[in-house]
Amino acid sequence: MNKFKKHFVGIGLIKLLIYGFFLLFLIIPLLSVFLVAFTNQPINVFGLLISMERMQQTIDQFRNASLDNFKALFTYGGYLTGLINSLKLSLIVSLWVLVICIPIAYGIARTKMPFKKTIGALCTIPLVIPTFISAYAFIIMFGRSGWVTYIYEKFGGEGMLLDPYTMTGIAIVQIFFFFPYALWPMVAAFKVTDASLEEASRNMGAKGWLTFITVTFPIALPGMLSTMLVIFAVSFSDFGTPIILAPNDLNLIVVDAYREISGFFNWGGAAILTVIMIAVAGVVYWLQNYLLKGKNYDILSGKPKEIKLNDNKALTIPLAIFSSLVVLLPILALATIILQSLATTWGKDPLPSGYTLEHYRTIFTSSLGNIQNSLILAGGALILSVIISVFVSYFVVRHRSTTLDFMTTIPLIVPGIAFGIALIQTFNTAPLQLTGTALILIIAYSIRRLPYMVRSTVGTMRAIKQDIEEAAVSLGASTLTAATTVVGPLMLPGIAAGSILVFVTVIKETSISILMAPASWAPMSLAIFQNVLRAEYYSAAAMSVILVVMVLVLQALANRLSGGNKS
Amino acid sequence: MGSVVVEQLRKEFSGVTVLQDINLDIKEGEFFALLGPSGCGKTTTMRCIAGFEAPTKGSIMIGGKDIANLAPNERNCGMVFQSYALFPHMNVFDNVAYSLNIKELKKNNLFKKIGVYTRMLNSKIVKYPKHITEKVMDILEYVELTDHANKLTSELSGGQQQRVALARALVMEPEVLLMDEPLSNLDLKLRHTMRNTIRRIQQDLKITTIFVTHDQEEAMSMADRIAVMKDGKILQIGTPTDLYSKPNTPFIADFVGTSNILPGEVVGTENGLTTVKIGNQRIKSASPTDKKHVDVVVRPENIQVLNGAKDQTGNTFEGEILLATYLGSIVRYDVKVGEHNLLVDTTYESGDSIKTNGSTIRLSVSPERVLLI
Repeated sequence: MNKFKKHFVGIGLIKLLIYGFFLLFLIIPLLSVFLVAFTNQPINVFGLLISMERMQQTIDQFRNASLDNFKALFTYGGYLTGLINSLKLSLIVSLWVLVICIPIAYGIARTKMPFKKTIGALCTIPLVIPTFISAYAFIIMFGRSGWVTYIYEKFGGEGMLLDPYTMTGIAIVQIFFFFPYALWPMVAAFKVTDASLEEASRNMGAKGWLTFITVTFPIALPGMLSTMLVIFAVSFSDFGTPIILAPNDLNLIVVDAYREISGFFNWGGAAILTVIMIAVAGVVYWLQNYLLKGKNYDILSGKPKEIKLNDNKALTIPLAIFSSLVVLLPILALATIILQSLATTWGKDPLPSGYTLEHYRTIFTSSLGNIQNSLILAGGALILSVIISVFVSYFVVRHRSTTLDFMTTIPLIVPGIAFGIALIQTFNTAPLQLTGTALILIIAYSIRRLPYMVRSTVGTMRAIKQDIEEAAVSLGASTLTAATTVVGPLMLPGIAAGSILVFVTVIKETSISILMAPASWAPMSLAIFQNVLRAEYYSAAAMSVILVVMVLVLQALANRLSGGNKS
Repeated sequence: MGSVVVEQLRKEFSGVTVLQDINLDIKEGEFFALLGPSGCGKTTTMRCIAGFEAPTKGSIMIGGKDIANLAPNERNCGMVFQSYALFPHMNVFDNVAYSLNIKELKKNNLFKKIGVYTRMLNSKIVKYPKHITEKVMDILEYVELTDHANKLTSELSGGQQQRVALARALVMEPEVLLMDEPLSNLDLKLRHTMRNTIRRIQQDLKITTIFVTHDQEEAMSMADRIAVMKDGKILQIGTPTDLYSKPNTPFIADFVGTSNILPGEVVGTENGLTTVKIGNQRIKSASPTDKKHVDVVVRPENIQVLNGAKDQTGNTFEGEILLATYLGSIVRYDVKVGEHNLLVDTTYESGDSIKTNGSTIRLSVSPERVLLI
């Protein structure tokens, strides 16, 4: 049996390594940040394992542990208002997204709305723009010297139409740039609603709108609520918008946590905020699963039936107009950034005073390093997540490893800022001092994007039957040869599509980059962020355009590879 | 080609025994079927031989060599899977050439290895050498697929895919050909054709073949010998005629063909004939037994209908026809005799009249055809 044993030892070792990776870079950081919330001082998890002195220190820390931080949460106004403001913001955003998406989703799924295809395509624009870029586009549009403000004043308005540096400003950016996350699931929810149920309702005498309210809508409701929770979580974890727009007197939990760590080195405060963020995100995730439990309408509706599309002009034309207005804002934001990147100067005027490519030249001469950093970091994250997710999906599919399956969903729940703080806290000091290195950045990016990658590879792995692997082996191939010549090529499309998405999201990634990237490894997103802070809007705009173009091209490539419209 | 000897094979899955006391002695060139209902362990037995499962106990020898220490890819067992398991990203030719590529990979130097490897990933970049092309085309001609060599396997019909799977396994010149329910995904008519094709190829090449099936008709019509399995054990091994005429358990009597199986009590033996009491009827049997309680097995076609003819057997019964079913060349009567129902098959020739339900019928059966188990 030695050959069998050898085989199992090899596979077992890889499994052990994967578990070790998750333990080291996910579980331990999250647990230690939880402990820091009590001790109020950083804990050197790896240090205490190798040094008695540190062990003693840590024990002392635990002696002094207290619930002070948790008390502070409820007594010290800042933390509590931060949490409440964040919850309020997420609630407002998710409600408005729902309200906005219902008509558009219905229009796309169930009517012959004019320009349906175009509107659908335009609705993906917000997804390619990182939120801190959209937030900053908002400043150029609605700020004191923005072109919208100019037009507003021309029509007799006073001051600003809308002050971007407010809760409302943040909410509007999030609403208009997060709605596509809800739109496509909602379109799907409307599509699966069994048309025959609606026909039954009409047959019993209900008018069109009555049918919508009594049948179509309630059936789509659980799906809608769950997408609303998705938006809630996305808004709650979003760092890009508030870090650009939140004024000093507006406390939001993500910004507070960031300031505690990068401004004051207050480990205890950052830790307690991290714990709270994870708790909120966890509850939302749980609620979402709870809502969808036992309500799989895909199954209920059985075979997809040809749905008769509503062709009533009195309905479809207003729907088309409404949808166009909604996508207009992101389009204008993108156009504004493009114009800004080409402008010589752009004051309080509807259009720039002149055009130049100078800003791009500056970028390609002095900021090429940032682009390079982004590509290297994203490439590293891509390789790491491909390796890990291929093995994880092998264990999940072939060994039915539920533990690994669960572990890869954790990063889905933990907000980026929270995960970043946990990593910094854990790897801040020797013996495992990784904070400030490219390695920990790459690891952080990979873990954060792993759930998407794993979903993609698990899907393709499931589609490859075990028979096929065994057939290769029975024909004389070793396990390795079978993996490389049969399983590998079959998984390739899934891996390719998944890895491009990882690459794209890493380039877009804001929270981890801003929190963790050292100056020597500053990626594009950090460079744009710093330029915005320094009010160097023109080069920020040019860099943003380059970033968006890269994202667009790669996204299109990924869509083609995964074989079509998985929006 | 080699013989396959399995001794005292035992397999447990997390403490549950799924195979025990499996002993097989399959001769060189023999077509051997493992027959049994689903979950009987026939596929597990085959997978132990192929090396995909490690036996808990016991030995397996192919061609007189113990293969326990050989990995599945070193056993040279050609396998045809139930799902065919064709490589969907390769065309027919590449599928069939796979094992030949592997052989090249083993014997060549690093530079050539890289070439072979590349060819396995994309055969357009690195061409096949002549000896491989010839060998693949030969075997494709043999299974009548020459015209489809460059097609993707997904473009083929079920029967064609089946033949690709067969060609792919045969081209490696395996010591043993293992086939796991290879016909179950085909429609009835194609299944019959493929039975003949497989049998023809097997006899042509004289290749030792182990064939797993749950279809007794399939096993009976193709195999030289059959092992009937149930609940992880082998019940009986024998030629198809052995199993049919001398089943050693009521299960086999019922599973292989159709049987009337009635519980009876031995009441005496006289002149080599055993008299068995079934309810209030008595029946004489030529089959010896030393048991008191026996199962009496009679095949429906061995019961004669006495249309006024004189009985020669000394075993006659009278019954009432419950149901007459016309099956083309035969008529099957469901007859109530005493408290038991008997199935009786009679050959039907055009012009014969079929007895009506409810009418009385006189039956007889020769003691030689009455089996006691």
